Amino acid sequence: MIYLTMFWTFLKIGLFSFGGGYAILAMIRQEVVINHPWLSQAQFMEIVAISQMTPGPIAINAATFIGFQKGGILGSLLCTFGVIFPSLIIMLLVTISYLRLKRQPWFKNVFAKLRLLSLGLIAAALIMVFSDAIADWFSIVVFAISLLASWRFKLNPFYLLILAAVVGMLFG
Amino acid sequence: MLLQLFLTFLKIGAFTIGGAYAMIPLIRKEVCQKRGWISDEEFLDGLAAAQSCPGPIAVNLSIYTGYHIRKGKGMLVAVLGTILPSTISIILIAMLFNRYADAVLVRKAFHALKPAVVALIAVPLYEMSRKGGITLANFWFPLGVAVLVGFFNISPIYLILVTIAYAVGQKLWVQKP
Repeated sequence: MIYLTMFWTFLKIGLFSFGGGYAILAMIRQEVVINHPWLSQAQFMEIVAISQMTPGPIAINAATFIGFQKGGILGSLLCTFGVIFPSLIIMLLVTISYLRLKRQPWFKNVFAKLRLLSLGLIAAALIMVFSDAIADWFSIVVFAISLLASWRFKLNPFYLLILAAVVGMLFG
Repeated sequence: MLLQLFLTFLKIGAFTIGGAYAMIPLIRKEVCQKRGWISDEEFLDGLAAAQSCPGPIAVNLSIYTGYHIRKGKGMLVAVLGTILPSTISIILIAMLFNRYADAVLVRKAFHALKPAVVALIAVPLYEMSRKGGITLANFWFPLGVAVLVGFFNISPIYLILVTIAYAVGQKLWVQKP
């Protein structure tokens, strides 16, 4: 039963995840922290960090990780398949008809509005993780340095997180 | 050909870390310049479609490219290549993580990883907002979404459905002469 619920939950996440990785995070948290008590807020944060350090799309990584935590290998495969299944159908239909669709004003308008909405979803993800992650002086300093490294110096997220992990082990 | 398609997307899946936007130039180089499977213009159309449709952008792009090259079979092979490195590496990490999650060093690492992750969400948000056409007239919309979802835990599903209905209605009925 849990397998069916997990598959259905990640199918829903896949179907409503507009705007790529970070916007999907808001959707995932809504389902696995709030609607289902599968993860605590702290565990969710750990999975986000791990997903960003490992190769591949964040949504796939998060789906595989959560699926494995809740249902082993079968769970991870079901969640991964669930999250990409809506893409397979919708993206296939759009691929076949894109040249015709892109001239339709309503089609363009839907995606212009959804792009704005996905900015809001990323901001929501930011609000959600902020209070949990930034709670003491150490985390404020790490946050400020990371912001500077990523924004001004365009440090690759992978290297930034590796550095952060080392700093945490030494001083955290 | 199918094997080459699989290996190319396996490489794309394995070498992109930290989100789809890092992946885009690599995919373009592989499928347009190195292999010549699709033209630059087709790629940009595909990218626009991939960013608009639900699901991970990299997966959507592999569906688009795979279908263009070899229809249904190409699509499945490309998707499999893209997600396989993630799936395998995450399952391995999850196995280790369950054993060591409570180790002191792992706790300490996450103490610094968490604020770094927050910064990694904040920076692309800022850059996308600058490029994404945010104006004085429309900034209330993403801001409202952020407050409803972030503070009041409203499910994004409802907001997405309302937005789609509004956007279609706006063009199909309201602005008809």
